[in-house]
This record gives sequence, C-alpha cells and structure tokens, in this order.
Amino acid sequence: MALVEIPHTPIRRLAGALSRARRTGKGERRGEAARPASPRDNWRIDDVPRRPTGRLFLINLLLAVIVALVFGIGTAYLAVDRGRLFGEVRLGQWTAYPTAGTPDADPYSAATTARTGQIPLGKGEGLAFFADRDRSGNRLVPSCDYRLVGQTPPGRLWTLTSTDAHGHLMKTQAGRVALDSRDIVRKPDGDFEITVAAQARPGNWLPVGTSGPLTLVLRLYDTPLTTGSGLAEIAMPEIFRGQCS
Amino acid sequence: MTRGGLIKTGLWLLGGLMLGGIIHIVAVILVPDFTTDDAWTRLASFGPDAQFNVLPAVEPGAEPLPMLDPTMAHAVCRFTLDDGPVRLDATIPDTFWSFSLFNRRGETTYSFNDRTSGEGKLAMLVLTSSQLSMLRENPPEDLDSLIVIETEDDHVFALLRAFVPDKRREKAIDAALGRAKCAQEKV
Repeated sequence: MALVEIPHTPIRRLAGALSRARRTGKGERRGEAARPASPRDNWRIDDVPRRPTGRLFLINLLLAVIVALVFGIGTAYLAVDRGRLFGEVRLGQWTAYPTAGTPDADPYSAATTARTGQIPLGKGEGLAFFADRDRSGNRLVPSCDYRLVGQTPPGRLWTLTSTDAHGHLMKTQAGRVALDSRDIVRKPDGDFEITVAAQARPGNWLPVGTSGPLTLVLRLYDTPLTTGSGLAEIAMPEIFRGQCS
Repeated sequence: MTRGGLIKTGLWLLGGLMLGGIIHIVAVILVPDFTTDDAWTRLASFGPDAQFNVLPAVEPGAEPLPMLDPTMAHAVCRFTLDDGPVRLDATIPDTFWSFSLFNRRGETTYSFNDRTSGEGKLAMLVLTSSQLSMLRENPPEDLDSLIVIETEDDHVFALLRAFVPDKRREKAIDAALGRAKCAQEKV
C-alpha cells in the first residue's frame, strides 16, 4: 500500500515513533548525541496525537455505516419485494398464505401486503391458492398448454384466473380472464379437466395472456378450509404440461 | 496498511453487518406504517369517505387494486370512527357475496359471506369501546339484528365482493352494491 508515501498520516507517525524508540535504545548504547539531528528525530512519544488513528477511525466508521445501510435496506427491500417468505401452505402444486393480510401475519408478509396494496380474502370469505409450476416442477409459461385435472376442495364457489409474474391480469385472445365452478363441465365422477392455453381449446378452457411466465390463481369461496377443517389432506387439481409451441 | 489495521477494518465491517441486520428488521417492521402505496391510501381515489364506492370492473391493465378477483364486483367504504360509529347495510340478491373489515394496515379483522351472515344481508355497526358504552345507554331499536363490531382501530375500511356469474347480471349487481349504505351515526 502507498500509505508510507503520504506524509503526516497517523500510521506513519506511529511507525516513526516506534522506530525512533528503537533507535533511541541503540543510540543510548552508541551515544545518541553523536548522531546528526534530523527533523524526524525530534519527534517524541508526546508528539503522537491523543487519538492515534483519527482519520482511519473516520474511514472505518464511514465504511461500516455504508455497509450497514446497504446491507440492511437492501435485504429488507429484497425480502419485501420478493413476496411471501413464511406462512405458506403447500398442497401439490398450489400454495396458499392463510395468515397473509391478517393481524397474525409475519412482519415480512405484512410489509408485502402493505407495499403492494393487496386486499387479501378474509377467513370468512375464502382462500386463494397460487401455482407457478407444473407437476414436474417446470415454470408455467404461456407458450405451453396445461391440463388441470382433478377436484377442488369443498367450497360453494371457486374461480380460476391467471396473472403474470407480478400478479397482474393479462389480456387474452378470448377477452375473458377467468373460469368459475359454474362454467365447468364435469365428468360423471365429479372430476374436471381444464385446459389452460393462450389459443382457444375445446372443453373447459382458461384463456391466458402471452407475455411472461404465468401464475394460476384458484380462489375458493365460502370454504370450510378457512373456518374449521384445516388444510391437511386436501385434493387439489394437478397441473400437467401439454404441448408447447 | 498494517495487519492490525486490516483486522480493525474487518471488525468495523462486521459491526456494520450487524447494524445492517438491525436496520433490516426495523425497516421491515416500519414498512406498513410508512408506505404511501397501501390499500387505505389507494382507496381514497375511488370516492369520498364514509360511503360505499363501487370500484371499476377488474380488467387486465385496469385493476383498481392488485390481486382482486376479476369475476367479482367490489364496493368499498373507508371511514374513521372519530366522529361516531358507522352503520353498514347492504342487500345483494341471488349471488355469492362476501364482506370483510380491514384496519389501517390493510389487515382483515372480521369477515363473513352471505351464507354465514345469518339473514342473508349486511347489517352492521362498527364502533369503538367508548362508543359502545354510550350505545348501551341508548340502544337502537334493531340492535338484535345488527352485527356489532367493537374495534380499537379508528381507521377502518369495509369491502363488499359480489360474484358476477355473467355479464348480463353485472349491472344489477353493481346497482345493488351502489345502494349499499355506510353512514356515520350520531351518538
């Protein structure tokens, strides 16, 4: 480091004082008075400033404060921006956040709710499930067709819609952006099959937008899941990937 | 720089990281109280306080608030309890509807739907503890049929969601939402 070249730095003063002390020790043996006096040799321990590392202290303090602010605010921003961290309930490919938007929510979830201005469903209203991956774990994309097969948990009404990665609705070819339990054609055993695709498909079709990755949102209204029976052992529709273009 | 100086700077950086941890926690906890983008603030743009305002339809590119269900029609009433209790009334025929009360931070504190409402309509009185004790002295006549919600929050908003089964029903449902009452009572 080039510190040695900088005159009057505290470090150099300290180093000078130390080396002088060593020299003084030798000098006493040899006879100090014989050595020519240079300005540097006039330094005594008393010349060293009371706070020997004054400037270094400031630099260190500044560094620490910058690190604290960048690290603290940066991680807080990321945590709040990336969405829910805790309190998730996973059922197959679907995830729900039953405590989000309630006074029981964890601080991260509360911050996300507040910052995005979301109004979640209350317990007495229903519960929203989100899916952004298919059964094999691949991210849902609009260039592929998907089949949702199976049943939903009990509830009076459910609606299925899709959003982009930021939770916004997307314009679709068909104009409509949702499908609900009243529109659905079911098999005799009560199961249904829904095709999620950007282009029109026969049968139960949820049209989706064409930009960016997809998130499917299944909202169950008036469901015993939130009011009593709990979320374990509930059948949710499985998401299979079909053809991709 | 000497080795001692390096160690010292390292310790300072470590201290900075720890301070950063504290800043992280404080920042996350303060976000709900300081954000200017929360639901309460956004709802101000849909109409005056202390009345139900019907939100525009939830459509791509024009969502009144994020993450609302596009199959639902919404009406929202924002109010404060400083000037007295608030009475909420609504009747929405022949469709699923649900109701939720939120505090200033956008947390739902009370919710139900048409089937759990009892009589199939919304009839509610929201008040503070002190207003409740005043109400006991002079109860309204239909108190028995009211849901009385006592709350510590002085800023409250109420959201009504009504399912729109198809486009033809949309106008009737919006009209029913528009007739919903949200009025400050005299104590």
